[in-house]
Amino acid sequence: MNGFPHFDQFLTAVDRDAALAETSSRAEAALSRRGLLGITLGAVGAIVFGKTSVAEAGAGLPASDVDILNYALVLEYLQASFYTEAERSGALSGATAQAVKVVGATERAHVKAFRELLGSRAVARPTFDFQGVTEQQRPFLRTAVAFEDLAVEAYKGQAPKVRSNAVLAAAVGIHSVEARHAAWMRELFGITPAVNAFDRPASRAKINRIVASTHFIVSRPRMKARNKPHFTG
Amino acid sequence: MRLRSPEVGLGEHDSPGEASSRRAVLGTAALAGLVAGLPFFRGLFRLGDALGSPSKAQDAKILQLVLQLEYTQVALYEQALDQAGLDGELRAFAEAALAHEREHVAAIRKALGANAGSKPTFDFGSRIKSAEAFRQAAIDLEDTAVAGYNGQATNLTKATLGAAATIVSVEARHAAWVRAIAGEVAAPDAVDTPMTAEQVARSLRELGMRTQ
Repeated sequence: MNGFPHFDQFLTAVDRDAALAETSSRAEAALSRRGLLGITLGAVGAIVFGKTSVAEAGAGLPASDVDILNYALVLEYLQASFYTEAERSGALSGATAQAVKVVGATERAHVKAFRELLGSRAVARPTFDFQGVTEQQRPFLRTAVAFEDLAVEAYKGQAPKVRSNAVLAAAVGIHSVEARHAAWMRELFGITPAVNAFDRPASRAKINRIVASTHFIVSRPRMKARNKPHFTG
Repeated sequence: MRLRSPEVGLGEHDSPGEASSRRAVLGTAALAGLVAGLPFFRGLFRLGDALGSPSKAQDAKILQLVLQLEYTQVALYEQALDQAGLDGELRAFAEAALAHEREHVAAIRKALGANAGSKPTFDFGSRIKSAEAFRQAAIDLEDTAVAGYNGQATNLTKATLGAAATIVSVEARHAAWVRAIAGEVAAPDAVDTPMTAEQVARSLRELGMRTQ
């Protein structure tokens, strides 16, 4: 992993079962038997909030839920940018390339849903520098496993703190999708998709520390509303 | 090479088996502290989606529901490992999932104490007679488990929600794993659609749960 200065530190911090150190590509062909046709990515907002418009659902949110949603939004920005960059790099092949199309579209849908829900309170997308890991299949998959396991822990840590039932329903429905992604990326990387009977949560402080250790975020997200110049005309 | 980090206590994971059983103890303790000693609730599967405000009594009712899900999973994997002629990665999946589901049953039973519902009987029919049929049944059941847990999230007290969340993501991992083995899309939706208790009950009956 030479050339990725913070990469090993990141993976060391995230790698729970030491399995990431193993290398096996036995599973990379597992998904190639059938194509990934027929994917439908319903509008997340419509699924979660039903007939209530997303804007209506967002309007009455408690401040603590807005805070949690913005935290989740940063993680989704990170993932969406990561998969999009990997897809565009053209370096991925086979079942991995197919899976990344699906997962990337899903993470972008999560970003869109949170941004719509938060409206002007949404934090802006940070600038990312993935330090080359999106340009090679094995380092990419290794990092994807770490990100997805991290996202599962992050959502799990926040779910009991959510106050609005609409936001909670969204959060748990996304939490299990992130767990599916984690298992999928593990399968593609060639390690056990489900290691333990119980998945642990992680605190925001811990997630923040791990994400910061990667130096993948090169500019801090800011509240959009605060950055808008006042209308002076 | 093994990666270690003092920050996240990777030392715990030196032996996967040991880490797994330690986790089970933690999960069990967390659940047990929440709803121990509550009276038994009948009419388990008549839970609606819009239940009352979360309470320990309601938590117990919901835990009885998810216990039925876990019993069904244990039975399907046990019987398929005996009879479906599983080999390769599908067998490895069934063995790993069975071990996890047994830990879930133990944790939920401990949480419910003497009121825990007993194990139903099952007739899985042709679903355990071939690897292909089992694979599809496992996909259906794991997807149902994810949808069933998710469907009750807003009905649980926050403490029990936290404990249930440590299980549901493992069910989602199983679902994705067996879907990947089958060559299917492991995560077909951007948000997993929840199921009501009634939908879960119907799905379990369709899979082969006979009595409770």
